[in-house]
Amino acid sequence: MNNVTNLVKKYRQAPWRVQRQWLGLILLGVALAALVAGIYLNVTARGTLAGRQVLMLEAEITDNKLANADLEANLAEASSTEKMEQHAQALGFHPATSEEITYVVVPGYVPQIGINLSTADPQPAVSNIKPEYTQTLFEWFALRIQSASASSGGQP
Amino acid sequence: MKSNLFWRFRLIHIALTLAGVAIVVQIIHILYSPEAETIRAYGKTYSGQIWEFSPARGEIYDRKGQLLAGNKTMYETGVDLTADPDANEVAIAAQIYLGLDYGMVFNAITQPPGGIVYVVLDKFTPGDKVQAFEDFRETVKGTTTAENLAAVYFQPHLERTYPENSLAANMLGFVDRNKWAYYGIEEKYNTLLAGTTITRWVPVNPNDAQSIPDVPPGATLILTIDREIQAATEEILDNALNIYGADSGVIVVADPKTGEILAMASTPRLNPNEYWTYMETFPGETPYNRAVSQAYEPGSVVKILTMAAAIDKGVVRPETIYDDRTGTFEVGGITIYNWDHAAWGPQDMIGCLQHSLNVCLAWVATQLGQQDFYAYMQNFGLGHVTGIDLAAENPGRLKLPQDSDWYPVDLGTNAFGQGVSITPIQMVMAATAIANNGQMVRPHVLKATVQNGVQRDLPVEVIGSPISAATAQTMNWMLSISLENESSLSLVPGYSIAGKTGTAQIPTENGYTIEKTNASFIGWGPVDDPKFLVYVWLEKPQTSIWGSETAAPVFKQVVQKLVVLMGIPPDQVRLSLTSGGR
Repeated sequence: MNNVTNLVKKYRQAPWRVQRQWLGLILLGVALAALVAGIYLNVTARGTLAGRQVLMLEAEITDNKLANADLEANLAEASSTEKMEQHAQALGFHPATSEEITYVVVPGYVPQIGINLSTADPQPAVSNIKPEYTQTLFEWFALRIQSASASSGGQP
Repeated sequence: MKSNLFWRFRLIHIALTLAGVAIVVQIIHILYSPEAETIRAYGKTYSGQIWEFSPARGEIYDRKGQLLAGNKTMYETGVDLTADPDANEVAIAAQIYLGLDYGMVFNAITQPPGGIVYVVLDKFTPGDKVQAFEDFRETVKGTTTAENLAAVYFQPHLERTYPENSLAANMLGFVDRNKWAYYGIEEKYNTLLAGTTITRWVPVNPNDAQSIPDVPPGATLILTIDREIQAATEEILDNALNIYGADSGVIVVADPKTGEILAMASTPRLNPNEYWTYMETFPGETPYNRAVSQAYEPGSVVKILTMAAAIDKGVVRPETIYDDRTGTFEVGGITIYNWDHAAWGPQDMIGCLQHSLNVCLAWVATQLGQQDFYAYMQNFGLGHVTGIDLAAENPGRLKLPQDSDWYPVDLGTNAFGQGVSITPIQMVMAATAIANNGQMVRPHVLKATVQNGVQRDLPVEVIGSPISAATAQTMNWMLSISLENESSLSLVPGYSIAGKTGTAQIPTENGYTIEKTNASFIGWGPVDDPKFLVYVWLEKPQTSIWGSETAAPVFKQVVQKLVVLMGIPPDQVRLSLTSGGR
C-alpha cells in the first residue's frame, strides 16, 4: 500500500506544473480567439471597403446617367429645327423649292429606311455583385464547407 | 500569507464571475423585456432607409432619330439645419445665385416646421444656377461664409424636357413636375415611358452592402413623324390662320399605305417646357389636339366616301348622268339645295364631284339606300374611334336609322357631310381606303419601341377593305380629273393629285350659319403611287367661306414642301427615272 502511495506521489505533477499547463491552455485559447477575431476583422474591413466602393461606383454611374441625359438634351436643343434654320439662313441658305432640285439616279445607292436604336449590349437584368461582398464570414465558411463536401461526394 | 493571497484571488474570481453573470442576466432581461421590441424597431428604423429607385423616363424620337422629348437634370435645394448655418448669409447667397426669395429662405431656416432637421428650399433648381452657387462657395473657401453655405445641399433628379419647344406639342402631350403625363403620346404610352419604380430597403451599414437594383429606364419611343415636315406644316398652318383669319386649324399628313402620321399640326399649341401656361393657351373646353379630339361637320369632303360606296355597290358609274334641273332634291319630305342654290343641268359623276353638287350626292345616297349607305359609312370608320395611339380621341357621331334622332332627310344630308360629325383623323383613315387600293389602314404615331436595348418595329395594321381595289382606282381617277377640270388651287404643277374640297356650314342652336363655315380639303398624291395624304381644316375662315379658296391653297403649300422634304420628283421625272433605272 505504501509502495502504491509512494508511486502516486512520485508521479504526481508538481502544482506549479499543473498551473502552467492550465495557463498554457488558456493562452492558447486566447491566441486562437485573437486569430479568429483578426481574420474576422480583416474580412469585415475588406467587405466594408468593397461595399463603400460599390456605393461610390453606383453613385458615379448615376452621375454619368444624369450627365448623359443632359448632354443629349443639350445636343437636341442645339440642333433643334429652329436653331438649325437660323444657322442655315445666317450662312446664306434658303429652303429649296421643287424647281431647284435636280434628281439623278445613283447606281447602287440604297436610301436609309428608318433608324435603328438597338444597342449591341443589352442592359444586364441581374446584379453582378459577387456573394462574397454580401456574406458574413460564417456564411462564407458554411458555403465553402458545403461546396467542398458536395464536390468530394460527387466524385466517383 | 499564502492562504491570504489565495482568498484574495478567490474573492476577485467570485466577484468577476458574479459580474459576468449579472451582465448576462441583464442582457437576457433586456432581450426579453417588454421594451425590447420597441428598441429593436427603433434600431431598425435608423439602420437604413427605404429608397425609391425611379427609372429615367424613356425618350421620344422622330422617325429620323431627332430627340423630341428627353430628360435633364434639376436639383432639389435644401439646408441641413443641424449645421446651424447663418440664415442671413444663406438667404443672400440663395437669392443671388439660385434666384430664391430672400424672405422665404430666411424664414425657412429660422422658423422651420417643428422637429425637422432638413428644410427643402426649392425642388427644381436648374443646373447652371447650382454651378454658380458652387463656384461662389469655392471662392469663399476657408471663411465663415463657406462654413455657413456648406449646410446647403443639392440633390439631382431628372425632369422632362422638350428640346423642340412647341414643335409637335399637340401630339407629344406633356409631363408635369409631379411626373403626371397629360395628352398625346406621353399619356397614351405613359406606362411604357415611365418604366417601373422599385422600392428597396437600403441599410446604412456599409458592411451590409446591398446591391442597388438595376432599374432599366422606361422604353424609348420612335415616332412616325418627321421633324422637318412637322415644322413646315405648323408654319404653313400658322400663316394660314393669319392670312385667312381662321379661328383655328388642323393639318394632318399621313402615309396612305401604312397609316403612319408624318405630321399633325393643330392650334393652339403649347410649349410643354412651360406647361403651366395650359389654362391660358387652352381656355374653356379647347381641345389639346383638334385632329383627334374635335369632331365637326366636315361637309363635302365626305362626298368622296358616298361616291366610293355607290360605285363599289354598282349603283352608279363615273359616266352615270344626273340631270340637275332645279338645283333641288327632296329626301324625307325636306328639300336639299346645292351650295349656290343653282341648277347645274346634266352632270356625270365626275361633274358632281367637280362642282360639289349636294343634290347629286343626295340622289346617289338614295340610289344606294339607307342600309347600304350606313353600312359603308361604318366600314369607313365613321362614328367610331380610329384607334390612333393618341390620348383623348373623339369618336364623332354618325346617326343611324335605328337612332331616335335620325330622320329620313339625314340620308340625303349625310351624303354631303352635313348632320354627321367626324374628326380629321377619321377622315384621314377613311380616305386611306381610296388612296391605298381599297385597304384602309389604322393611323398611328408610334413607329417602334426600344426596350432593354432591343428595337421592335410596329407592323402596318390594315383594318378593313370597305371598297374594292377597282373602286379605289376609279375614285382616284375621278378625283384627279375633277381637280384638273376645276383648275383647283390645290394643284401642284408636275404632280398628279386626287382630292376634294369641303365647305360646311356650322350648326348652331338656331340652325346652320351662313357666314361662318368649316373649310376643308383632303387630297393625296402622286395618284399612281401615293406617298402622302394631306387633310386641311380651317375653322371659320374670314377672307372667304369656301374651302376651295382657303383650304385648297393651304393643301398646295403643304404638298410643295412635302415633295421637297420627302424627295418626291415630279411625275414625269419620276417615271423617266424609274423606267431608266429598270
